[in-house]
Amino acid sequence: MDGRPSEPDGFRDFVEARSNALLRSGWLLTGDWPSAEDLVQTALAAAWPRWATLTRQDAPELYVRKIMVNTFLRWRQRRWNGEIATGRLPELQAYGDAFAQIDARQALLAALDRLPARQRAVVVLRYFADQTEAQTAEAMGCSVGAVKAHASKALARLRDAPGLAELMTGGVTS
Amino acid sequence: MNTEERQLAEMLHRVTPEPPRRVTVEDIAFRLANEAGATREYRLPRGRRGEYREPRAGRREPGGHREPGGSRGPGRPWSRGWAPALAAASVFVIAGASAGIATLATAHHGPATSADGIPTSPASVSSPPATTTTTPSQPSASTGPTWPPEQVAGGMWGAELINRQAFTPGSLAAAPDGHSLYAISQGYLDRINAVTGEVVNEVPYTSPISGFPNRPAVTGTTVWVLTSYSGTSVVLAGYSITTLAPAGTVTVPVTGQVPSQPQGVLASGPDGRLYVAAGTSVAVVDPGTRQVTQRISVPGQVNSLAVNGEKLAVAIGAFQLKVYDLVTGAQIASSSLNFGGAGGNLIATPGGVWGTVGVGMTERVWFAPNADLSQVVMVSQGAGAGLYSAPAYGGGAVWLGGSHTLACANPDTGQVMARTTIPAGNNGVVEYFGSVTVPGSGRVYALYQNQAARQSGVATLTPPAACAVLAPGRRPPGDPPQRGTARPPLPPGPGRTLRGLKPCRPARPNCRVRPLCTPLAAPRAAADPAAFRRRTAARRVPRGGAG
Repeated sequence: MDGRPSEPDGFRDFVEARSNALLRSGWLLTGDWPSAEDLVQTALAAAWPRWATLTRQDAPELYVRKIMVNTFLRWRQRRWNGEIATGRLPELQAYGDAFAQIDARQALLAALDRLPARQRAVVVLRYFADQTEAQTAEAMGCSVGAVKAHASKALARLRDAPGLAELMTGGVTS
Repeated sequence: MNTEERQLAEMLHRVTPEPPRRVTVEDIAFRLANEAGATREYRLPRGRRGEYREPRAGRREPGGHREPGGSRGPGRPWSRGWAPALAAASVFVIAGASAGIATLATAHHGPATSADGIPTSPASVSSPPATTTTTPSQPSASTGPTWPPEQVAGGMWGAELINRQAFTPGSLAAAPDGHSLYAISQGYLDRINAVTGEVVNEVPYTSPISGFPNRPAVTGTTVWVLTSYSGTSVVLAGYSITTLAPAGTVTVPVTGQVPSQPQGVLASGPDGRLYVAAGTSVAVVDPGTRQVTQRISVPGQVNSLAVNGEKLAVAIGAFQLKVYDLVTGAQIASSSLNFGGAGGNLIATPGGVWGTVGVGMTERVWFAPNADLSQVVMVSQGAGAGLYSAPAYGGGAVWLGGSHTLACANPDTGQVMARTTIPAGNNGVVEYFGSVTVPGSGRVYALYQNQAARQSGVATLTPPAACAVLAPGRRPPGDPPQRGTARPPLPPGPGRTLRGLKPCRPARPNCRVRPLCTPLAAPRAAADPAAFRRRTAARRVPRGGAG
């Protein structure tokens, strides 16, 4: 390649293997696919030049998720965050399987939208990405105690979210 | 984890959908190259809020989405150092990737040619069309190729094809912001990138109204189409305007029977509500609640409807034109025209109501001033050959298409302001140019098909200045443009706009972006201050009058 930096070893395998999970985490954080993809691309682009170091530390995914969460938290602080047009509409009734799925997703996103950004990040990392409290704390740059507090408050808020209790006790599958 | 936490975790995994597409290494490489400035000179300046912004190079649209814009994300300091090398490396990566993508996309969305020479919808060759269904399907995202704009044969109004697919005539609609276009192809509802012409999303869809125009209605963040129009109920399906993801359905009970030849029975009003003809009544649907909020009964089967402000115009039978007050539901006006056919494809403008009557070569586009058919004016000859010339209202003008002429008309008076002839096809093959739509971006789009030249698709138009006379501000006809407000010439290239361009801002140092604006002529005072003062002094009238 004439001295040009080539793709890092193992980077492609990681992207192919984990982009799906990362995108789903991004969707839970942002609520829409374009932003989720933007988030994942941002994190992977940041990980590219550090890939060799990350693989030596055996923690590339943790690092990528850390960037995702920090980027997400930073986006939420931006003013343009309030200008995002959304294609989501409240669903009043389910029509068939496709719309039942939409109902479930919208109930979930509506519930997550009630959470402050850091609580939402804790929920995604802890309960969707299956990170430990310590890993979640490291990704968010806070203490384990803070993670526990965020998780507790988030669960309390989600308990009151309409439609989420039915989803948690069973319901529509995606 | 306790039980509640386990339930939450299980629910998150269960409900979170699969992504429409995956991120690839090529995406990352392209993004790095883009952020490093390799494509900076091709970027357009960021528009203000609400204006259209060109997609950033390197960002494909996975399912149709906004472009947040702006560089962000960690890693920028290092990226500057690696930028040239990564950009060069990405060229190789992208070249290989794009070759593969192009192969796949051509198979899916390339300009496949049917036996009769017309490029067929790629949807029709990729998979069998779906049957009419009341349950909208999940959209599929496409990364089809973008084509360089191609001049339309005959070059009417500088028309250039940005798309090479065959769409149902009369089915073109646009998102209010102008980012997306929507059209019905064979078996699919397509979302089209308004800049590149690329079909970025599609959902299986078959119009329940065959043989007649059936334009999707866009309101808010949803594009609505009819999925059932027969029997005792009319069903609308809504899709996200950005992804074509299903957004909901609305079932509207029919009073009486729906007509056999409906022509334009779904419309979105300026109030954001949907208006759908349901037999002998018009149902007003709140798209937010999906409820029928109002029903206006009419004395006959409604063939077509149009909404303007607080008035509803309907065409009944063969044919009566009736106008109703949307607030009270009371009939305001009624008139009739005996032309031997049903009225259809209504649009309502401040000056009256427009529509079509007749079929085939006898079809005519008419204008009824003040919605009074006793004063009707035949404005344009119709399409013929089984096509319909549905007039459209947008950008301050009424647009008339068909297979004979393409024209723009004054929405207040019905006067045709500019007209161009659509060349007759070879061997009597009909060309069609119509379904004009002008979204909020001000760009003008139309559907085109020409069997002789083997061209079809979505075209951008550069209408003459006469068509823009009422575009923004709606100056009354005959009123000369005021100094400083005259619209400058339209810029070259695709994506012309009817709106006047803004004056250039002073060029910033180190800014290599070519401004998309037209500098206004320098004021006279600035050119020669002394002469300007002399002229104004000579015209000055002393207080107390000249005498």
